[in-house]
Amino acid sequence: MKRILVVDDDDAIRMLIEMELIDEGYQILTASNAQDALKMVESEDLDLVILDIRMPGMDGLEALPRMLGLKEGLKVILNTAYSQYQESFMSWAADAYVIKSADLTELKAKVKELLA
Amino acid sequence: MSMAFERLKSLTTIIMAGGRGERLFPLTRDKAKPAIVFGARYRIIDFTLSNCLNSGIRRIYVLSQYGSLSLDIHLRLTWDIFRPDLGEFIYSVPPQQITVNRWYRGTADSIYQNLNLLEFERPRQVLILSGDHVYRMDYLAMLDYHLTKDADMTVAAVPAPRREASAFGILHVDETGQVIDFLEKPADPPAMPGNPDFSLVSMGVYIFKAEVLVQEVIADAKNLDSQHDFGRNIIPQMVGRKKVFAYPFRDQATGEPQYWRDIGRLDAYFAAHQDLLGPRPAFDLFDRQWPIRGHVMSTPPARFSGSSIEISNSLIAEGCVLEEVRVTNSFLSPGVRVGAGAQVEEAILWDKVQIGPGAKVRRAVIEDGVVVPPSFTIGYDREADAQLFTVTEGGVVIVPSNVRLAEG
Repeated sequence: MKRILVVDDDDAIRMLIEMELIDEGYQILTASNAQDALKMVESEDLDLVILDIRMPGMDGLEALPRMLGLKEGLKVILNTAYSQYQESFMSWAADAYVIKSADLTELKAKVKELLA
Repeated sequence: MSMAFERLKSLTTIIMAGGRGERLFPLTRDKAKPAIVFGARYRIIDFTLSNCLNSGIRRIYVLSQYGSLSLDIHLRLTWDIFRPDLGEFIYSVPPQQITVNRWYRGTADSIYQNLNLLEFERPRQVLILSGDHVYRMDYLAMLDYHLTKDADMTVAAVPAPRREASAFGILHVDETGQVIDFLEKPADPPAMPGNPDFSLVSMGVYIFKAEVLVQEVIADAKNLDSQHDFGRNIIPQMVGRKKVFAYPFRDQATGEPQYWRDIGRLDAYFAAHQDLLGPRPAFDLFDRQWPIRGHVMSTPPARFSGSSIEISNSLIAEGCVLEEVRVTNSFLSPGVRVGAGAQVEEAILWDKVQIGPGAKVRRAVIEDGVVVPPSFTIGYDREADAQLFTVTEGGVVIVPSNVRLAEG
């Protein structure tokens, strides 16, 4: 079973993504901040990370290159309510950039595509 | 606002200066290759930095790593001439160990590890240079070419004799200058069309559209099979997929290829020195149109004393003290002393070397501060030299600064 880490400081969003992806047949781990997420990237066997950008402490764009440095070849989807970070070079290292929505169709499609 | 100013403002310049320089060992055993003495009073990186200055580029990042202190000291002594309050700078950037916990794995990885710097600068174009080449080049002329071609990447290229070309990346271009094939260090380099004895080699001087550079180094960082090197990985990946052009490095007026040397090996280091000598040298340090800046020291003028002093075809720096000696085809860095009766031939003497009275030195590179005892000989007996020193294939003796030579 593919293992996905969902990183978001918003409990409701984290739970929503978790539930919907469990329904899709994935095993889900969660973290509410980037520091915890980095520890999990280091210790857990993961296939994909879904990473929020705006979080207290370290943000997703800072965490992204660190994650990739810890685990080469790790796939990451940036999942944010904001479109402007797409302009940032730092976001280009992600495999996909998905704007948050209550409808997770796009996110689920990207997950499926990347884990195919 | 002038066009030139606009172009410069949107350009970020990065000099890659972190390599180990293993083929220049022992000269690189305790310092960065770009910080090695060259041409009596310069360091190798001074040529690239002088090109920047003469091209009007005053915002420079130097990516350092191996032996970075030697480079930092030189940058501080010689290149602390930019005004940060006017937006000018020269910054030395060793691996930051912030986003990734590793050294620079290769030239492409050194850019990947500094993406935040490009994000901060947000240039439109990025000029990437090496700190270990000897040449004079107007980078803005290359930038014009790059912009005119609307290239994703432009590689500066110069013809080199085929038998020497296997040390370089070889470019195959079409009639428009677009690169259609690239071979990194092939055993049997293909010839240039219409010129069977020459191959077109990459000078390791690149201009990228910034966004293309970012995409390519990110893709490269994710490729687990990559060596993360511009020559081995990035250029071959781009050729055929992106618009890669070769900028012909030749004299605008005559069309002749211009002088460019990669100081990759000890014999190349020695040979490039010979190119600085003669009444019409292949590379003229006295050309005031494109001055090369070196470390300016407050040292007394050179002093020659005695009645029978013979110096020919040599470059002698300030502060040297020469008595009744014979010096030919040689380079004397600041503060070198040569005692009476000594002979120095085809030698490269770094700062404060002392050659004792009656000593004979031929075809040698002697590092800073070495004291050669009276009547000692170097370069006359290959076997004896090889017992004490490195002797290159070309028969050049390398005397490192950590040796003590015994009299007799």
